Amino acid sequence: MLDTSLIIQYGPSLLRGFGVTILCWAAGCAIGMTLGFVLMLLRQVPLRPLRWLIRAYVEVIRGTPFLIQLFLLYNGGPSIGLRLEATTAGILGLGLYGSAYFAEIFRAGYQAVPKGQVEAALSLGMSYGAILRRVIVPAMLVSTIPAIVNMMAILTKETVVLSIITVPELMYEMQTMAAETFATFETILGMALFYWLLVEVTSRLGRRLEARVTRFLTHSSTPTPSTRTSTARA
Amino acid sequence: MKFSVIIDALPYLLQAAVTTVWVSLLGMLLGQVIGVLVCVARQSGSRAADMAGGVYVSFFRGVPLLIQLLLIYYMLPLVGIDVPPLVASVAALGLASGAYVSEIYRGSLNAVPHGQAEAALALGFPGTTIWSRILLPQAFRISVPALINELILLLKASSLISVVGVAELTRTSQTISASNYRPLEIYLAAGVIYLAINGVLALFGTAVERRLQRG
Amino acid sequence: MIAADKNATNTAPNGASLPRTAGGGPNGSPAGTTPMVTVRGLGKSFGTNEVLRDIDLTVNRSEVVCLIGPSGSGKSTLLRCINFLEAYDRGEIRIEGTLVGYSEDSPRRRLTNRELRGLRRNVGMVFQQFNLWPHMTALENVAEALVQVRGMNKADAAARARQMLERVGLAAKADSYPARLSGGQQQRVAIARVIAMEPHLMLFDEPTSALDPELVGEVLQVMRDLAADGMTMVVVTHEMGFAANVADKVAFLDHGRIAAFGTPREVFHESAEPRVQQFLQTYHERNSF
Repeated sequence: MLDTSLIIQYGPSLLRGFGVTILCWAAGCAIGMTLGFVLMLLRQVPLRPLRWLIRAYVEVIRGTPFLIQLFLLYNGGPSIGLRLEATTAGILGLGLYGSAYFAEIFRAGYQAVPKGQVEAALSLGMSYGAILRRVIVPAMLVSTIPAIVNMMAILTKETVVLSIITVPELMYEMQTMAAETFATFETILGMALFYWLLVEVTSRLGRRLEARVTRFLTHSSTPTPSTRTSTARA
Repeated sequence: MKFSVIIDALPYLLQAAVTTVWVSLLGMLLGQVIGVLVCVARQSGSRAADMAGGVYVSFFRGVPLLIQLLLIYYMLPLVGIDVPPLVASVAALGLASGAYVSEIYRGSLNAVPHGQAEAALALGFPGTTIWSRILLPQAFRISVPALINELILLLKASSLISVVGVAELTRTSQTISASNYRPLEIYLAAGVIYLAINGVLALFGTAVERRLQRG
Repeated sequence: MIAADKNATNTAPNGASLPRTAGGGPNGSPAGTTPMVTVRGLGKSFGTNEVLRDIDLTVNRSEVVCLIGPSGSGKSTLLRCINFLEAYDRGEIRIEGTLVGYSEDSPRRRLTNRELRGLRRNVGMVFQQFNLWPHMTALENVAEALVQVRGMNKADAAARARQMLERVGLAAKADSYPARLSGGQQQRVAIARVIAMEPHLMLFDEPTSALDPELVGEVLQVMRDLAADGMTMVVVTHEMGFAANVADKVAFLDHGRIAAFGTPREVFHESAEPRVQQFLQTYHERNSF
């Protein structure tokens, strides 16, 4: 197993790598959710070509491997004048990838808001903006939290793919270390255990959050709308 | 954009796509076997088996596939099994898929209404018949869409085995674009091929689902 | 014979009875001569299915009109057309003289949601499924539209919401989320949410149909108090006792038409319309032991 001198030697770079991992994950999630939410809203605009365009975007992203998307962005980008640094490309790639899944999650959540709750707001004379902010989005967030948490956990795992386009995140630093020390298997095993722990902890925190946010639904006689599970994973 | 580049590369890409499909199918097959075993272990009533199954599922769903792949790739030689990258890749895809498949089966079994087994019990059906005639046929129907979806996910995930040098679609795209300096065209073409395969699978899934619904 | 309202002796819990406001109409609105609602030649189809045909109906101020009839007769659709939750195809609906849903100058131009808001703020609606917002407490449910539509500040809205909850006998439940309330309580909160807006007209879409039988009485009591207060109400209901005792007019709908219209006495006892008799017969059989 790993001896202590290695940890001292590689500790700082691994820590830095972990920092990059967290940065990519957080920024990717933020971009993905924001863009996904905007896409969901645009989908409500009664304009057919726009809807088709968004649908095509979502289907293309969901139908192709994340790695191919990354290669396109990072290696193919320069051909059309898009020169990105690896980390920037990684964050952007993660965000675009996530946005398609988040858009679907939000769409399902939007559709799951009981029609009557919107009608009640309409009949009281509330504006669409107010209904969206005060009725639809809160109801939507509650019903989609499990799917959102799941997607965020998936994006945690996807960050390791960024190492392939040389983003200096944890996996990349680890591989460097493995190559230099020849302790490949041990390092990878350590990595596996680390990510296992990370994903377990995130999911558990997510479930806690879910319980908190939905606490007002306890003893509910009305069934909670469940969202279709998203079809991404790493 | 130069389309001639794509046309030149197309035969190689299509050939590589066949490898991608094969690897994914083999991974799926292994995943089915493992998935059933894990599912049975978790439903067996033995606490130890349930726990072992639970840890298996948690590990293979929690650890990124890329790490699993490298783990297996470097582990097998350590225990004296020298295997080509292709076999290690299929093993990795199968092991990971098994975790998801077992959950699909578990979910499908749970989705069969409880009253179904009770009704059969009340009619005096023996336990094995309840499983073979009542529970499994229904669970299978319920699981079909999820299994097709699993295959699509596996197909996309198989792009990761490019890192251990298997000449599937992603790896071949890398090789070609490294030699002709046309990454945009080549990766676009690869993306379209992935999209096409997944599209066909999705259509197939819908057709099967519709057939099963008709009964 | 119409059975006497089963719940006539019930009073809502917590001594909820609405104080009578002095003077005629609610909210001090001038009791003009324009009827509250006029429906003329109303028609609506879902595809080839004609759900409303040639409906004429007038609701005067402070009147309670009950819409009864078999399910699928179009009574809920008619009600939903009145505040344009459902668009109608033919004829017209006017509320206090204003055309509902379409532009006055160029008929058949549908009003936008924004343009409908002015109308809807004066027309309250109570739904079968209550439709409270589950993520807000009872108080927040009532206060929400006061803030969003009336532009009240939060403190005033909360104070007014508390008053309204008191009126329906639910002051004690102000901080409860809907999921913690019984169906009857939820419906009373929904009514409070509407009356807080001081509507000129209230629409009730089968307000007691989703309730357990023992909870029906408390909701009907609140409605009875509202009627006594002079509120103009259009009520789709299966509670024949309520229709017989509280309504000024009853409209019996069948296959999208008003088959009988008049005072409860005229419709229930004097109508020669065979479909009315048949409907009441079925109703009695289902509601007797």
